[in-house]
Amino acid sequence: MYGHTGRCLRVNLSRNDYQIETLPQELMEQYLGGRGLGVKVLFDEIDPRLDPLSEDNKLIFASGPLVGTGAVTGASCNVVTKSALSQTIASAKLRGHFGAELKFAGFDMIIVEGKAERPVILSIADDKIAIQPSLEYWGRTTSETEAMFRAALADKWAGRETYLVSIGPAGENLAAVANVVTDGFLAVGGAGIGAVMGSKNLKAIAVKGNRSVLVADTSRFVQVITTIINKLNSAPLTSQSMSVWGSAFLVRLCYEKGAVPFKNFQTTSFEGLRHVGTEALASAFPLRSRGCFSCPIACIKKSDVQDSRFKGKGMAPTYLAIGALGLNCGITDLTTVGMANIICAEMGLDPIAAGGAVATVMELAEKGLVSKEALKIDMRFGETDHLVTALTLMATKKGHVRRIGRGAKALAEEFGAPELFMGVKGISMAPFDPRALQGMGLHFATSNCGPHHLYAYTFIDELLNVHEPVDPATTEGKPALVKTYQDTTAVTDSLGLCNWPLMGLKFKNFVPMVNSCLGTRLAADDLLLIGERIWNLERLFNQTAGLGVSDDILPGRFIDEPLPAGPAQGQVAGIKEMLPEYYRLRGWDESGTPPRDRLQALGIEDSTNGQDQD
Amino acid sequence: MARIKIDHSRCTGCRHCEIACSLNHVAGTANPRRARIRVFKEGSTYFPTIAGPFVDAACTSKIDVVLGDQTYNMCLVCRASCPEKPFFIEAETGFPLKCDFCGIPPSPSCVRWCNSGALELIED
Ligand code: SF4
Ligand code: SF4
Ligand code: SF4
Repeated sequence: MYGHTGRCLRVNLSRNDYQIETLPQELMEQYLGGRGLGVKVLFDEIDPRLDPLSEDNKLIFASGPLVGTGAVTGASCNVVTKSALSQTIASAKLRGHFGAELKFAGFDMIIVEGKAERPVILSIADDKIAIQPSLEYWGRTTSETEAMFRAALADKWAGRETYLVSIGPAGENLAAVANVVTDGFLAVGGAGIGAVMGSKNLKAIAVKGNRSVLVADTSRFVQVITTIINKLNSAPLTSQSMSVWGSAFLVRLCYEKGAVPFKNFQTTSFEGLRHVGTEALASAFPLRSRGCFSCPIACIKKSDVQDSRFKGKGMAPTYLAIGALGLNCGITDLTTVGMANIICAEMGLDPIAAGGAVATVMELAEKGLVSKEALKIDMRFGETDHLVTALTLMATKKGHVRRIGRGAKALAEEFGAPELFMGVKGISMAPFDPRALQGMGLHFATSNCGPHHLYAYTFIDELLNVHEPVDPATTEGKPALVKTYQDTTAVTDSLGLCNWPLMGLKFKNFVPMVNSCLGTRLAADDLLLIGERIWNLERLFNQTAGLGVSDDILPGRFIDEPLPAGPAQGQVAGIKEMLPEYYRLRGWDESGTPPRDRLQALGIEDSTNGQDQD
Repeated sequence: MARIKIDHSRCTGCRHCEIACSLNHVAGTANPRRARIRVFKEGSTYFPTIAGPFVDAACTSKIDVVLGDQTYNMCLVCRASCPEKPFFIEAETGFPLKCDFCGIPPSPSCVRWCNSGALELIED
């Protein structure tokens, strides 16, 4: 078997035991691995209607078959569970080195079941597997947790080859907005998974391994990778923009299209762009480039924050941080954004969900719908201290965790203004205004894992015009664009690849890398069909969990309130005209349900999951 | 003679060089522990370290080097395959690993896949 290790570690924390299982070959063929396999296992093994924080929920960490092989950007480990924030399936992408190390330890997947009586850390060193009591780690930030664990290892060199994923205080306190972290990177799209890990009393997972991952046709594989590296090197976005600035370079481009939200998506036109552009970034932070395992792009920028209010090391602001923690909260000070971003990583807070909660409260306060007394904290747009205080409190102080830590939707509803929740399916939106980017809007409305741009990279065409020039304002052709990008992302997530290379090459350029690595003969369309299968299975999970057509909707603001100013002034999101066409392209009925024959055609046979019977 | 020049300030810690080396020495096998180049982090800096000679006993003296505000344990960046540390020794076989300046001209495998400019082949 190539790429895959074929082994899965199943840990039951209630029983304090584990077993090593063999993964069925046909499942790996049908779902590839990573996200696809994780979704399949979760769908088969849990009732999608269950309470995400109950003992019966499962938490899956799955590395795709290309992870650890040296395939370009083959680093992702997907974290699949039922989200505590949204009631939908969650499939977050953990980057860095954890996913590859899991493969070197000889596992494609870890399934965590049950709930430990007291806090534990799961430690994996090849076949030496231990569920260790970890009371002394409880309450620690994620970087403290990693450092403590490494320092406590008997072999003083072992820590250098050990990689961890952990939760911070936010996950321990079951804040719905909590996420998981590895080496200072928050999982992408991980809102709602930190609390699931916390509910299991699982503080961290540590892995280290000495095993090999096998590659089918080495000489071809090596040749293909060299070609891909050269391609990425000759494309301006991957060799320059992303390598130098990380995704932060998108801020100006998005602003110029009127797509960056300001003050809880009230507008996309604001003063002070120069304070958040790349020049400001370079002068605020000494940037160090960091790559995930086997990534030639190295878009991750690390930095130190040295401020009278805060000192720390971590990720420098990305586009997402600048949008969600900065501009959408009315803040244009990059030092604050950098600080807030590091606090999120240390506390284990998802920046989109936590930033969304803060922005919502700020708008509630602006409209006089919430008082300082009601929340025991002051929050006003543009007030940097309010943001920083709120982030720390919502992760650490029980009272605040129960109020702000529940996320934007719960807050907007509690204070009588559900229309101020800027999100879909319970999850706050990534910082792109759907009125300016129609395709992104359709994706946000229909995404299985909530409105996150990294589950369909439509902006690569809508904003950056990499593969074809696409007018962001038109709704025409967008359903097809969205479907293709959604299915593509399901494939790359399942293989364990990052999507940023798509800024420099086409999806079909990945195909020879996949085939030479795995010894397969798949065509691009075969892979996309697998992507569609995964997308439909996730859809089925969400429908069984109780979601329906009314959940494929954008907040009213984007449909009824035209953008008040800026380059996209006057535009609204044309979601209602795009949705029927999108359903039709997916082969679903008008209520957005995949019919039985469509599922069968996709090879989803046992689509009832035994849930019809009970 | 050609040399490999290492620029720590450019290394991104991606470890693509480790896999390049591993695949080149045992076909079909991706395994950083079998690579003759390893990348270790100390403070905020990554150190690509290329395996040198095998020694059967550790140095009797231990050395710390202070550069700026960071102290480095010399054993970490030392190139020897040495019993002091588990690197550059194959885990299963105990076989010592040493860089053999491999690869297809003009570049050794590790240099070819290093995209950051941290590894560079130079003539002197
Ligand atoms: S492009 Fe960025 S996120 Fe993607 S693998 Fe490379 S460093 Fe990681
Ligand atoms: S490939 Fe280059 S940048 Fe990546 S770890 Fe090796 S030396 Fe550093
Ligand atoms: S030159 Fe060859 S043997 Fe030496 S470290 Fe680089 S890839 Fe490995």
